[in-house]
Amino acid sequence: MLRDIFYFLIFPGLLFAFAGGGFLSWFDRKVTARLQFRVGPPLLQPFYDCIKLFGKETIIPADSAQGLFFLSPVFAVAGAVLSCVLILLPAFGMTSGFAGDIIVVFYLLMIPSLSYIIGAIASGNPLAGLGASREMKLIIGYELSLLLVVAAVIMKAGHSLSLHEIIAIQQQQGAFIWSLSGILLFIVAMMCVQAKLAFVPFDIADAETEIAGGIFIEYSGTILAMVKIAKSVMLLALPSFVAVLLLGGLYFYGIHIFWSILKILGVVLLITLVRNTNPRLTTGQSMRFFFIWMNLIAVVAIVMTYIGW
Amino acid sequence: MFMSELHIVIFLPVIAGILLFLLPERVFTLKGVLSVLVAAVCLIFSFILYFETAATGTLNLGKEFFKDGSLLNTLLKQTESFAAMHTDNLSKLIVLFVGLFTLIVSVYSTGYLFPKIRPRHYFSYFLITAGCANGAVLADHMLLFIFFWGIMGLTLYKLIKGHTSISASTAKKTFIMIGASDGIMILGIAVIMHLGFPLSISAMDIHTGSFAGVAAFLCLAAGAFTKAGAFPFHTWVPDYASYAPASSSAFLPASLDKLLGIYFLARLCNSMFVLNDWLTLLMLFAGVGTIIIGVMMALMQKDYKRLLGYHAVSQVGYMVTGFALGTPLGIAGGLFHLINNALYKSGLFLAAGHVERLTGRHTIDDLGGLSKVMPVTFFSVFVFSLAISGVPPLNGFASKWLIYQGIIEFGEGPGLANQLWVVWLALAIIGSALTLASFIKFISGIFLGHTKSIYRSVRGKDMLYCLPQAVLAIICIIFGVFASNWVIPGIIQKVSGDFAYPGIWESSTVSVLVMISIFAGLTIYWLMRGRGFRVDKAFVLGETQDHKTGGYPSGEYYKTITGNQVIRMIYRGAEKKYFDIYDIARETVLGISKRLSWLHSGILPVYLIWIIAGLLVMLIIFM
Repeated sequence: MLRDIFYFLIFPGLLFAFAGGGFLSWFDRKVTARLQFRVGPPLLQPFYDCIKLFGKETIIPADSAQGLFFLSPVFAVAGAVLSCVLILLPAFGMTSGFAGDIIVVFYLLMIPSLSYIIGAIASGNPLAGLGASREMKLIIGYELSLLLVVAAVIMKAGHSLSLHEIIAIQQQQGAFIWSLSGILLFIVAMMCVQAKLAFVPFDIADAETEIAGGIFIEYSGTILAMVKIAKSVMLLALPSFVAVLLLGGLYFYGIHIFWSILKILGVVLLITLVRNTNPRLTTGQSMRFFFIWMNLIAVVAIVMTYIGW
Repeated sequence: MFMSELHIVIFLPVIAGILLFLLPERVFTLKGVLSVLVAAVCLIFSFILYFETAATGTLNLGKEFFKDGSLLNTLLKQTESFAAMHTDNLSKLIVLFVGLFTLIVSVYSTGYLFPKIRPRHYFSYFLITAGCANGAVLADHMLLFIFFWGIMGLTLYKLIKGHTSISASTAKKTFIMIGASDGIMILGIAVIMHLGFPLSISAMDIHTGSFAGVAAFLCLAAGAFTKAGAFPFHTWVPDYASYAPASSSAFLPASLDKLLGIYFLARLCNSMFVLNDWLTLLMLFAGVGTIIIGVMMALMQKDYKRLLGYHAVSQVGYMVTGFALGTPLGIAGGLFHLINNALYKSGLFLAAGHVERLTGRHTIDDLGGLSKVMPVTFFSVFVFSLAISGVPPLNGFASKWLIYQGIIEFGEGPGLANQLWVVWLALAIIGSALTLASFIKFISGIFLGHTKSIYRSVRGKDMLYCLPQAVLAIICIIFGVFASNWVIPGIIQKVSGDFAYPGIWESSTVSVLVMISIFAGLTIYWLMRGRGFRVDKAFVLGETQDHKTGGYPSGEYYKTITGNQVIRMIYRGAEKKYFDIYDIARETVLGISKRLSWLHSGILPVYLIWIIAGLLVMLIIFM
């Protein structure tokens, strides 16, 4: 049990994931800045932001259900860190400690979004409520597409649910992305990640210019810092999930460390590029995008997987 | 020893129920207290029965009360050949939960049913239902089974009639649908007799290779589907949920009818019949169809009790899917989900009843901010909502996870139904996401947001209401936290048989880590308290919020979905009841009788022509 707690809190859990996620968030901001011909923040800026927020006054909305309002960012961090640990342990080839299969990870990855929604409706702010309903509709949209990706990967891995085995099979046969169906699945997975991270064009729930932060409108000070931590951890967890599912996993020894970091950076770079070159979609548009187009591509990929392409 | 417990769990509530008819309605609370006592005794004996070994026996109908050789004595002796009883791990488990729900709902009913909304002889029918449910589960002879099963249809009707002015028509609809399905089941039993099989449930093993075998299965499955509320025979459940007293909804459609219907379905799919590939495919279609149709309807409801009613339908889909798989993993998932669903769904109905009792409102839009005045109910509803949506580490996730594992494992087989595993998995999981969506609406609309001034004075901490809900919520948490190391191996696998998990879910470890996170989070908040926490008005872009018009109407959360024309048409059709099997049947029957009514013109020559024509036809046939 103590070992599990170590995994959860230190490595590859909270501390490591926050450090890694903070770095990725810097990378994202730096690339964005360069694309806009700005200099961009220094490396430690995401951490400064968090520390500063911890020191700020926290304002609690009068109509809120306070318990839920305070606890939901904690649930978000817990869900994000749990999923991150369950992804990174097999990704780093660590077989000891607690484990979960691909379906468990799929469900845990939903918890941060769900927590934001609960926090938003608990705040009692109508704009947060609007954001919550948008976020929920977005979840309904991408959840099916992501599940189809997961199902296709399960199919490719010979009905194995263990992330360890999925990585092992890719080690033997080459990463799943090196096939026609793999490329299609990668496209769908990337779009789902984009939506899960609530980056443009899917930032409908917190649309700053429109509903002033939506689901996060009432968060400030310490609780906002929690939200930032959860978001950073997710920025590491989701690209790692894609890397494990389709890119052959991550390794934590020798020259492979370099390749692993490149994989993650590549995925984050793609996300950043998409978010800097697209306008925000409406809720209806993004639901249609996932429900019709992404699901269609995923189904085609599954049929291709079935016939062995 | 075994037989005496069996007699107590069946006959004690029935006899107590009949005796309660003698007490006047004025002493309703006394009746309630007596019912609670009877329910408690039954629960104790179901508990003892649970730890007895499996056995077969005959129900003693009391022939020794009559003189040997007298008419009644002879009759009862002959009847006893039909009174075969059988217990195994499945039936003992179901009886245990029937006992638990009877006790919890009887406690709640005592407080809930105030005179104006009270169906007559509520507790009499309540106890008879409980006894008959135990009887049906423990019966081994098909005819005895259908006898108990049929009485439950009648009491279901009696537990709603007289609640409000609209409830009479709902009661009629329920009665007709349940009654018709019982009729179809009897037809199924007749087919089994025709096939020459003995009518013992435990000994039956019918192959569905022949047409008659398939017909018998479909007839009996229709009965199980109607009772449990699965598509396409589900339409009485939402109506019942909206117009019956919440305690009746929590007792029958949410828990006992589910337990019974799915119990019988489990027997049908996994021991009485051997399903062929096409039937498996059909059952899986019915399962995922029920999930999606139920939840899509729930998403758009504004009446919160009706919303719960549609979820009572939707959740059945998971159980049907699990049992249709037929593998130990699928059976375990279906069974675990059955128990979990009964726990949180009856809890949700109890909470809905509490809200309705205190506010008198039926629609989500009229409510809001009740979490401040009814904290216990809110806590319970929050747990139930997360559990029903399958959020780890609660119990709903554990059972859904088992079903998903079952589907994936099932996909390795060669049949057509096996090859379509992605379809079953995708629809089951998207159903889960949609469930979450409608419960976000449920929680936010009723419990969160601005507390309207008329509800500020509501006193929502009455023990009789809160205790049953809190108990159910705690059981939900326990079943979730200890799912993988205690509940599944200790309770579920005893029934389903052993199986190896393809996946890994460590419920207790995850729960401990979640507890650590909550503790750490609270510690951080506590440490940072020095920086100040200030309560202020919500920020609405600098405007002042008008609570009469300015709140976000939760009822409209998912209106975007109806932006799609096809979906909008389907919803409109559903509102007009185009897809309701009851209304379709009613329209058909009334249409035919309208056509035939011109025969009854009252004109003598027309009647004469028909008589002569009939005679001619007979003449031609018999010549």
